[in-house]
Amino acid sequence: MNAPAGADVADVAADGAIRSLNPSIRTIWTIKMAAFSVLLFLPALFYDLTHLFSSDAWLPFGALSGTVLVGGVLYCVAWPRLRYRAWGFALRPEELYMEHGVLQHVRTIVPLRRIQHVDVSQDLVEREFALGRLVVHTAGSRSSDVVIPGLPLSEAEAIRDKIKRFILEDPLTEEPV
Amino acid sequence: MPPSPTESNSDGRPDASPAPDRPAGEEKEEEPAPTGAGEAATATTLGAVREPQRLHPLTLLLRVGASLPALVIILLPLLRNPGSTENVTSLVLGVLYGVFALPAILLQYWRFSYRITPKQIVIQSGVLNRKNRSIPIERVQNIQIERNLVARLFGIAKVKLETAGSTSTEGSLEYVHQDEAQKIRQVVRSFQRGSQEAEAAASADAEDAADTETLLDMSLRRVLLSGAFRFSLLYLAVIFTVLELFNPEALVERVLRAQGRVGWVSEVIFSHPALAILTTVVAAVFLGWVSGIGVHVARYYDFRLWLDGDKLRKRHGLFTVTEGTVPLDKVQALILRTNPFMRAFGWYELKVQTVGLDVEEQGHRVIAPFAGAGRILELARQVRSVELPESFAHVSRLTIRRRFIRYTAVWAALLLPTVYFWPADWLHLGGVVLPWWGFGLVPFILGWAVLQYQNHGYAAGEDGFYIRRGVLSHYLWILPVEKFHVFHTTASIFQRRLGLKTLFVDTAGAATFAYPEVIDVPAAEADAQFGALYRRFRQLYRTRVEAATGAPDTRLAPDERPHLPVDEPPA
Repeated sequence: MNAPAGADVADVAADGAIRSLNPSIRTIWTIKMAAFSVLLFLPALFYDLTHLFSSDAWLPFGALSGTVLVGGVLYCVAWPRLRYRAWGFALRPEELYMEHGVLQHVRTIVPLRRIQHVDVSQDLVEREFALGRLVVHTAGSRSSDVVIPGLPLSEAEAIRDKIKRFILEDPLTEEPV
Repeated sequence: MPPSPTESNSDGRPDASPAPDRPAGEEKEEEPAPTGAGEAATATTLGAVREPQRLHPLTLLLRVGASLPALVIILLPLLRNPGSTENVTSLVLGVLYGVFALPAILLQYWRFSYRITPKQIVIQSGVLNRKNRSIPIERVQNIQIERNLVARLFGIAKVKLETAGSTSTEGSLEYVHQDEAQKIRQVVRSFQRGSQEAEAAASADAEDAADTETLLDMSLRRVLLSGAFRFSLLYLAVIFTVLELFNPEALVERVLRAQGRVGWVSEVIFSHPALAILTTVVAAVFLGWVSGIGVHVARYYDFRLWLDGDKLRKRHGLFTVTEGTVPLDKVQALILRTNPFMRAFGWYELKVQTVGLDVEEQGHRVIAPFAGAGRILELARQVRSVELPESFAHVSRLTIRRRFIRYTAVWAALLLPTVYFWPADWLHLGGVVLPWWGFGLVPFILGWAVLQYQNHGYAAGEDGFYIRRGVLSHYLWILPVEKFHVFHTTASIFQRRLGLKTLFVDTAGAATFAYPEVIDVPAAEADAQFGALYRRFRQLYRTRVEAATGAPDTRLAPDERPHLPVDEPPA
């Protein structure tokens, strides 16, 4: 056991077979971020319009809403790409490996043995693209749910079923915590 | 509510071990449960509580008493100026209280019952919304008996039942007679051990674990000593908050006037601001110290810890006596804590991290509040094998720079606005406004960062991961390999510029603010540890699987194992 085990654990965090998310997740993120940016933009626009004719305006017209607009557009265009590029995951025989984060790079190993339960969820936007997200719950305190977004729904369900089977067929009967 | 055929736990799980003797009409609490002949015999010898029991009648009195402050607040306007017409609201509320709250307390008491069978504990409660909770006996992890001052005066106790699955108390009996509380624990524990040992267990428990091994006993002197090391401003803040309610100035005034001699002292003090500040600080430190001792003694008076099979049990408290149990295999991590003063004299505190036990202690339970290093290690080894590493690896020195820059930036962000908004007629020192002098603390920030670096270390042993951290509170976390949960490394943009990473192994029930993170490890080293820790975890479980099944491999054939989705033919 030891020799092959040693050989195949060497790649615990290797990036050999790291998978990316489904590319359409970028569109989903763009849509969500656009909605968020609009929420910021509208009050800015409202402020600009209501102060259009006031004499003591300390900002030229359009400065505030323009900044928010440009920032929002940049955010919607660039951020999903960066985030998509940072995301990667791999389901290995005994663990789930993932890395993500634009500003803060995070690499995580979730041993399948430690998973309490798995959900597949889908929101309104994701449904349009037939994508789902895998939510893995563990008993760990800081990372009690680990989320992998942007998986085709069928694939997310396949992964869920595999993890479920791994847990069910665990020959160790000890309690997870 | 229609009677349901099966009872379910609070979280909706079906009862794992349906009691064979459960009657169909469980909902009718007045009906005594029919029992088989054999079980009836066991029940009588063990004193199982087969009939639904009510709580102690004094509960009623205590609950009414507990609700009185609310009534006082409601009626406060009325009491202040009786006869005013504006008091209609509070009067109406008061009447509503009388009409609803008091009968509610009575009804709640009337509709609450508990029952203990060899298989489960059944608690029925609720007036409008009937709740029927059954806790399987073997799931009960901990039976905690709490007796606060009032309860001790009346000879009653609060029994908390805790299970592993839930994060909070699963069932609470508040209050029962104190003998009844002890009996409940005996009965449950004897059922857990199985009926063949039940007799022995019951008699052993009757002696209250007299023949079990006492691990730690703290005399009053020791408790006082340990309190003396626990300086805390927290209690002081509480004291001042309470004093605030009693209008301290009037009190001080009265004291000063009554003793004319103190008059000149106060005059001197109030005429020199520096002296006033000094006196305040000294008084605060002294009060903080004394109140710390007081709180500590109240909490840990007569501390006793003993080993009972595979559980640690402890009892302590001056006014509120708490008895608790910590199952050894539910311990997620060991935490050794000390502070510079305690360490200078070789004293430590030992805590264990658990899940599903007392929420109030944030998943941390104190096993030994105060003991010497050797004793603490001995205790820790009772919980699990601990091999303290010879040396701890330091994190990167660059952490000093990062911390210094970060703290200075935060400090500057706090100071600069005050500089800007500082009124012109306020205190100016040496030609500049006072807040500028705050930057004089910057060297101390550097010193603090260096101290943090020096006190931060980690070591990966064969049996666990050891992390040292903290300047004012030194923590040493011992995370056993078998309790590892999720593995993380993180690198922020600033860390990436310096080639650093943060390493974190998550465990169940870890606290959310002070957790065992290893900050600013060199990136290559962090990755190596990240892999090595996980490999050790996997190796441990592979060995266990092999021992359990006799086969070297895990449960699935290679082609059945979960594999990369990309390997699959597209569906």
